[in-house]
Amino acid sequence: MHTVITLRLIQREFIHSMMKNTLGLIFIIGLAAALHGQGPAGPQAAGFDMDLTGYWTGVLHEDDLERLPGPELADYGGFALNEAGRLFALSYDVSRLTLRHHQCDAYVMPYQMRAVGNFRIWEDRDPFNQQLIAIHIWAQTTEGHRVIWMDGRPHPPAWAPHTYQGFSTGKFIGNALVIHTTHLKQGWLRRNGSPESDQATVTDFIIRHGDHLTDTTVVNDPVYLTEPEIRSNDYARQPADHHAWLYACDDGEQVLGRAPDNVPAYPFGKQPFAKEYSDRYKLPFVASLLGADSMYPGLAARLKNSSDADAVARLSPAPNQPNESSKAVNPDPRDGEIHVWPIRDHVYMLVGDGGNIVVQTGEQGAFVVDTGEGKLSDKVIAAIRRLSEKPIQFIANTSAHADHVGGNASLGAAGADTSLPGSFFAGQSPSAATGTLLDPSHHATLISHNNVVLRMEAAKAPSDAIPADTYLEDRRRKFHNGELIELFYEPSAVTDGDSIVHFRRADVIAAGDIFDTTRYPFIDIKNGGSVQGEIKALNDILNRTGYQHEEQGGTMIVPGHGYLADEHELVEYRDMVVIVRDRVQAMINAGATLAQVKTARVTADYDTRYGANTGPWTTGMFVEAIYNGLKK
Amino acid sequence: MTRTPVFAVALLVLAAGAPQLFAQGRGGRGGPPPGPPPTPRAAARIDITGYWVSLITEDWRHRQFTPPKGDYLSVPLSEAGRRAADAWDPAKDDAAGEQCKAYGAAGLMRIPGRLHITWQDDNTLKLEADAGTQTRLFHFAGPEPAGGDWQGASMASWDYPRPPIQGFFGGFGPPPPGGSLRVVTTKMRPGYFRKNGVPYSAQTVMTEYFDRFDVPGGDTILLVTTEVNDPQYLSQPFWTTTHFKKQNDAAGWNPTPCTR
Repeated sequence: MHTVITLRLIQREFIHSMMKNTLGLIFIIGLAAALHGQGPAGPQAAGFDMDLTGYWTGVLHEDDLERLPGPELADYGGFALNEAGRLFALSYDVSRLTLRHHQCDAYVMPYQMRAVGNFRIWEDRDPFNQQLIAIHIWAQTTEGHRVIWMDGRPHPPAWAPHTYQGFSTGKFIGNALVIHTTHLKQGWLRRNGSPESDQATVTDFIIRHGDHLTDTTVVNDPVYLTEPEIRSNDYARQPADHHAWLYACDDGEQVLGRAPDNVPAYPFGKQPFAKEYSDRYKLPFVASLLGADSMYPGLAARLKNSSDADAVARLSPAPNQPNESSKAVNPDPRDGEIHVWPIRDHVYMLVGDGGNIVVQTGEQGAFVVDTGEGKLSDKVIAAIRRLSEKPIQFIANTSAHADHVGGNASLGAAGADTSLPGSFFAGQSPSAATGTLLDPSHHATLISHNNVVLRMEAAKAPSDAIPADTYLEDRRRKFHNGELIELFYEPSAVTDGDSIVHFRRADVIAAGDIFDTTRYPFIDIKNGGSVQGEIKALNDILNRTGYQHEEQGGTMIVPGHGYLADEHELVEYRDMVVIVRDRVQAMINAGATLAQVKTARVTADYDTRYGANTGPWTTGMFVEAIYNGLKK
Repeated sequence: MTRTPVFAVALLVLAAGAPQLFAQGRGGRGGPPPGPPPTPRAAARIDITGYWVSLITEDWRHRQFTPPKGDYLSVPLSEAGRRAADAWDPAKDDAAGEQCKAYGAAGLMRIPGRLHITWQDDNTLKLEADAGTQTRLFHFAGPEPAGGDWQGASMASWDYPRPPIQGFFGGFGPPPPGGSLRVVTTKMRPGYFRKNGVPYSAQTVMTEYFDRFDVPGGDTILLVTTEVNDPQYLSQPFWTTTHFKKQNDAAGWNPTPCTR
């Protein structure tokens, strides 16, 4: 003990004398680390910081067929797919990959980690204190770039965008790098349609034994799996750069003349290749359709007396079952607060008051798209004021739905259209005028398609909440805050007054309820909506979007509800609406009644993602809206 | 202050601290005096004992069902290996009393079933598989067994992360945490990687790492990472990873004879 105290006194004196130059400081840090046996406390202190850097190649001694030429159709053995997952996979037609917006789909994590090809791993370290900030993994196939944050930062909120690689944080625990990943896009568990939803989370355990790296991935997917999917990938260390890193992809025209609302899919029970796999390998037909039961020992013995009928029953939704409800997390925080998510170039998404709100700021007043339910308008106004000292000058409404116009009056009153004082309009305010025309210069100008006005007037909305600046046909333009803002009219999507708002410089689109990551589209037939118009509107948005890389990034899309998306999410949503419509249409063509369509569970592969059995917009209402729209 | 006095003081301080620094390499500061090394059982940093059930999520078809003859997809067979696999004759195996050729050490872990892992003694870990009613013994000490049977001779060690090499600055910390069980198996009776006669020879050397993970949701997973080298039948090392899920009890434990 005496020796230690003496030593510490010497160290203290030494530190005082050394503090005068940088070299001394560095020495002190190193010495302290040496004597105390640890570096500065950090999130990775629980384990030892193993070196994963270098060049690695995936070793494909398992599932070779799946990972190289590609898996066989209806080979879902070893996956704990639930009914929705199995039906999604069976409905999947690989021709979907010829659609423009699917041609460059990247691999979602962890399929990316399982892919053929080369990998490079490198570290980011703080240049000043050498602490580990992040570990990067670059995968050659689909050019997947995975960042594993090691600096203890939190995961983004639920309304943040999803990516193919997701958001990963890691810690060294024991002899493993343990990684937790959220915010994944929808993708594949296997390249034959076996789905992994955008609600999946993944835990990786990366272990290194010499030149052999093993990544064990545990996928939890409440939408499509009944239990975690656990697989491992092996990588061999390479001595040098592979010089093979790129996987360039641009979409093009693969099938000419195809209608924009044609999404290749098989009807339930009609997957033409469902039996091909079992026939080829002389397996019981039902074996690969059993979900989690297929993963455990004794399968061959259990299926000795199985019949094809057991399998055929699994090619369609189980009859006489209630619809499943969504297992997805609703990104709406519901915490009584307004949360601001910067999108790009002074365009922001505000979350928390029902429908999403978009705000653009600049040298002129704020341009706002939609105003939420109006329950938290004071906080919305305060949030906008923190983004811009200028008043709210314009408010555009994407529809007349209450959760998008609820704050019109409050936000309008808090704003001012500074372009009006001294103008012709300011001098023309008649004393008998009502609403925003009463004194336009002291109120933000509300903009919408004229049908929004008609719907709001019919609903006896307060006059100061009703837009005064309307358009009648296909397009309205405004150059504001140095940016062209376009409103496009969709005549009959969720209502008959829908507008899509495109911020051209920031390349951000506010889609309103046409796109909703939390539920099936609210096709409001009473207010002029239709499934055909909804599909057209989704395709119209897709005609304006572009991806930055491998079907990701680029144009950002703010849904009416849910998380900030890009065209990948919108395409999956469009596919869903088209596929369900086609099923309903086929049943109508066969003479089915609405009751029969509902009993057939035509949404069974999507209900665990979007379905609801209670609340304002149920699965039954969605199916009924489609049926009634198509029957017209 | 010039640099010369700085380094002089630095060396002085290091010299004063040297006994402490070097002591860490012999068991750490203030620790008890060195005693006899702990037994392998006491030295275990991970506990893999208990009942485990296979999770057949990879090579599903090849593992759950006997593949057709000549189906050696994914296995890096040499030309001799392919010839042997193509010549597979199950009737011949039966006649020779070799029904357990797929249940040898290099194939056993891939066969769906349950494991029961216990300490036979302080130096020997016993792994029983209900599939084929096989037993593997992992010897941490003592002479290497003679082998020659399906399970061969397995020598075990705890594979801990290598302690840092002590340098002038750093490398003096506690040993890294965590570790794996490393098992090297040789002297196996020739057998099959798969039930359809994909062969390995008597010259096979198999290195396995057993790791244990606690996964979200409460399950515990045993990961067996395997590298097989066979100069006769493989063209390169054959790598697989096999997963087992921890069971609380012996539920489902069902010793069965070797089958095709």
